[in-house]
Amino acid sequence: MSLNITPIKAGRFYLDPLLLAVITGLLLIGYVMVSSSSLHLGAKLDNNSLLYPIKQMIHIGLGLALAAGVFTVPLRKWEQWGPNLFVFGLGLLVLVLIPGLGVRVNGAVRWLSIGGFRIQVSEVVKLISVIYMASYVTRYEDSVRNSSFGLLKPLFLFTIACVLLLMEPDFGSAVVILIIALGVMFLAGARLWQFGILLAAVLAMAAMLVIVSPYRLRRVISFLDPWADPQDTGFQLVQALISFGRGEWFGVGLGSGIQKLFYLPEAHTDFLFSVIAEELGLLGVVTVIVLFALLVWRAIDIGAKAEVVGNKFAAFIAYGIGIWFGFQSFINMGVNMGMLPTKGLTLPLMSYGGGSMIVMCCAVAILCRVNSEVQEMTASQPKRRPVWARAS
Amino acid sequence: MHGFSTRKKKDEPETDFTVRRKVLLVFMLGAMGLLAVRAFDLQVLRKQFLKQQGDMRHVSAVSVSAYRGMILDRNGEPLAISSPVQSIWVNPQELADAEPAAIGQMEKLLDLPDRKIKNLIVPGTKRRFAYVKRRINPHLAAQVKALDVPGVYFEREFKRYYPAGPVSAHLVGFTNVDDVGQEGIELAYDAVLRGTAGSKRVIRDGKRQIIGDVEAISAPIDGRNVQLSIDERIQYLAYRELQAAVLEHRAKAAALVVLDAKTGEVLADANHPAFNPNTRTHLKGSAFRNRAITDVFEPGSTVKPFVIAAALDGGYIKPDLKIETNGTYRIGRNVVRDVHNYGTLDLTHVLKKSSNVATSIVALEMPPDYFWGIYNQLGFGNAAGIGFPGEASGSVLDYQRWNQFAQATLSFGYGMNASVLQLARAYTALADNGLLHSVSLLKRDRDPEAKRVFSAKTAQLIRTMLEQVVLKDGTAYQARVDGYRVAGKTGTAKKAGEGGYKEKKYLSIFVGMAPASDPRVVIAVMVDEPSAGAYYGGAVAGPVFSKVMAGALRILDVAPDQEETMPVLISKTPDLVAQ
Repeated sequence: MSLNITPIKAGRFYLDPLLLAVITGLLLIGYVMVSSSSLHLGAKLDNNSLLYPIKQMIHIGLGLALAAGVFTVPLRKWEQWGPNLFVFGLGLLVLVLIPGLGVRVNGAVRWLSIGGFRIQVSEVVKLISVIYMASYVTRYEDSVRNSSFGLLKPLFLFTIACVLLLMEPDFGSAVVILIIALGVMFLAGARLWQFGILLAAVLAMAAMLVIVSPYRLRRVISFLDPWADPQDTGFQLVQALISFGRGEWFGVGLGSGIQKLFYLPEAHTDFLFSVIAEELGLLGVVTVIVLFALLVWRAIDIGAKAEVVGNKFAAFIAYGIGIWFGFQSFINMGVNMGMLPTKGLTLPLMSYGGGSMIVMCCAVAILCRVNSEVQEMTASQPKRRPVWARAS
Repeated sequence: MHGFSTRKKKDEPETDFTVRRKVLLVFMLGAMGLLAVRAFDLQVLRKQFLKQQGDMRHVSAVSVSAYRGMILDRNGEPLAISSPVQSIWVNPQELADAEPAAIGQMEKLLDLPDRKIKNLIVPGTKRRFAYVKRRINPHLAAQVKALDVPGVYFEREFKRYYPAGPVSAHLVGFTNVDDVGQEGIELAYDAVLRGTAGSKRVIRDGKRQIIGDVEAISAPIDGRNVQLSIDERIQYLAYRELQAAVLEHRAKAAALVVLDAKTGEVLADANHPAFNPNTRTHLKGSAFRNRAITDVFEPGSTVKPFVIAAALDGGYIKPDLKIETNGTYRIGRNVVRDVHNYGTLDLTHVLKKSSNVATSIVALEMPPDYFWGIYNQLGFGNAAGIGFPGEASGSVLDYQRWNQFAQATLSFGYGMNASVLQLARAYTALADNGLLHSVSLLKRDRDPEAKRVFSAKTAQLIRTMLEQVVLKDGTAYQARVDGYRVAGKTGTAKKAGEGGYKEKKYLSIFVGMAPASDPRVVIAVMVDEPSAGAYYGGAVAGPVFSKVMAGALRILDVAPDQEETMPVLISKTPDLVAQ
């Protein structure tokens, strides 16, 4: 964990080669698998097998272009915008709930249509949550560590966001932003007993929501034993598990999967991981898990370096992104393997979807920006160890 | 970095939180490790169970239809063949997404009533399968396919095609929409023709569409061909002449059977009314009936030769017997009548003039059991055993219940009934020198079941007598065939109905054989209710017999046995002779 990654200097920016490799890997594998699992769907819907691959190519292109722009924004700007951004995010969440503005898909209103482009609002809110939390704990560090109020104030705002998300409903995203908030506060030094109570309260609330809403309860129960009702409530999970079993060690081969052919629902979005499992086998599955693990490690490690050079905001941004990506990818993969109840969360940087892809690209761009600024500061600081001097 | 952190922990209070960071990182990486363990569990340890569950959902067995065997005539010409066609079915649930315009176009292409397909679209329907149209031309199916309507599917099937159309329709029969024999040979030999459907394992996608073959479970065993004894050329001729006769005489129905006199094979079996098995719609069941085999009638005078033959063979009369007829013959309270008073007749003229009185006198010379025994041996009252669905057996009253008048009427073919096929078969006993042949619809070289009913001498004698029938002064001059000696007998039976025999409703019958010197072919013709004036067997059925017999003999390459009536041949024209 204390490996040192030799940064690359490109112009006035510093780049983390491993982080770039991981991102490239995830994007590439994701794109190939999205293509593989959507050819039949495009052919059926529009008589054009390349319908989804072309759209996803546009998503990735837009995401990378926007990411390049985001990368050039100095971190202190984000720090300044943090509170306003959060208000903006809440505004989006309200907007999507206004009848006529939000787009309803499968009974949930999660999308805003902007110029024919559908954006899942909760994705944007996740990134905003990271920025807001980072700026909050940077500004009120002592208060977070010493007073209950400092801990509760941001949670109040997050509760509003969660309630709005649950109205869509988007239970998964609500859990993700809460986890981001709690995780960042944990790292910022919140008192453990206070934190423990908070965590317990959040878990109790989540459990209550599950029990109160029969639709969620059914999903939860079905995940515990999908084979009890494999035709109805357990259908998705049974199909996903079959994909894993069929994949064995090395998979049935790229493009040769059967499960994606109308057995797996949402094969190219939420259940992309199952398609990977069937077509690329355990080898592909472990590769993806390792890539996400590396991404998390790089994020936390970059954050740690930011703390060393004293840039608290940069550090918490990196931690937040690490927690977000780690948690969301864990949920998605866990759901695919029947370890967690079914949640509509995408696999970061891999699943099909415009909004998700663009926001995730922006998030990794900010992470890269953190790394670049931290490396720049490290390079300009007095050298503590010879190894740093040789790095540039 | 580790060393750096510990040192920092000693210096500053916030080092506490670097531990938290490490705890979080370990926790998250641990969670990722857990995912990998779970993946190993599913993909390696539980793969057997999961793959089996997958196969249960993906793989299923489907049947592979076997090719139905052909029905051939004796020369190998096809009478029924199966050709591949397409059937169209829809999934009404998926059809809901289709454009109404495209469905309308499809209805128009398939010539379906408006909204027939659209009406299948019911919101919330549980139906996933409905045939739209079956067995259509593959070309038409391609046009429908080009419309690309969602929820419309195609299935390959076989359609039965009958190249001979109505000509042999009654005999060959037909299959239903599921390719199962319904009538005729198609029904009788269904098990042979059908073969055994095979099955294969296929993979289906989530919408139950077949996306690939896994393995063949059992190969389909194609049905075997059935080769009939029918000669399509004679069959066509018989059909054509029968149709012409029905039109000319405005008859209700007609039937005709051509038998090979040596083997008992059925060379032709024509009927009217006919139907086209390829396009049968809105037809009454009566059109499907193979009257020659399934319908019985009173054979009338056509049985008279058997009475004479039986009496001669049994020694009850002498060949030179002369019979005083007087035109009427009283038996108890009943009277047998002839059309005219023929006076004194020898046996030849009994048949030539078809005297009911003389035949009755001869019949009453015989004991009832003997007389009945001959009829029974000739196959009257028993099915010919040809294996055709609905084959009639006819009936002859049991001799124990006969009185003298009953015995007399039986001698001129009343009080009994038989089918055209039975009648033709009985004549084989005269044609093949006393040997009665079994009949067969399948091609064969010889008859293993021939049995002697009459002595050869008697049979030859009767044939000689029957030759007189087709002479200029006989009852059936129109039945003669140029170049061949013909022996035959007419019959004109009054039709029985409710309340007795009907006036002016007749059956016109002619049964005969040629060449009379050594008969090859036996033909029986029955015309039901000719209503254009003529109704005598010789006038109505005779010409049909003549034309069909002339054609059959030529087709079978039978040598003429009567040079003087040979049509003039080109080789005998003076020019050629001069050379």
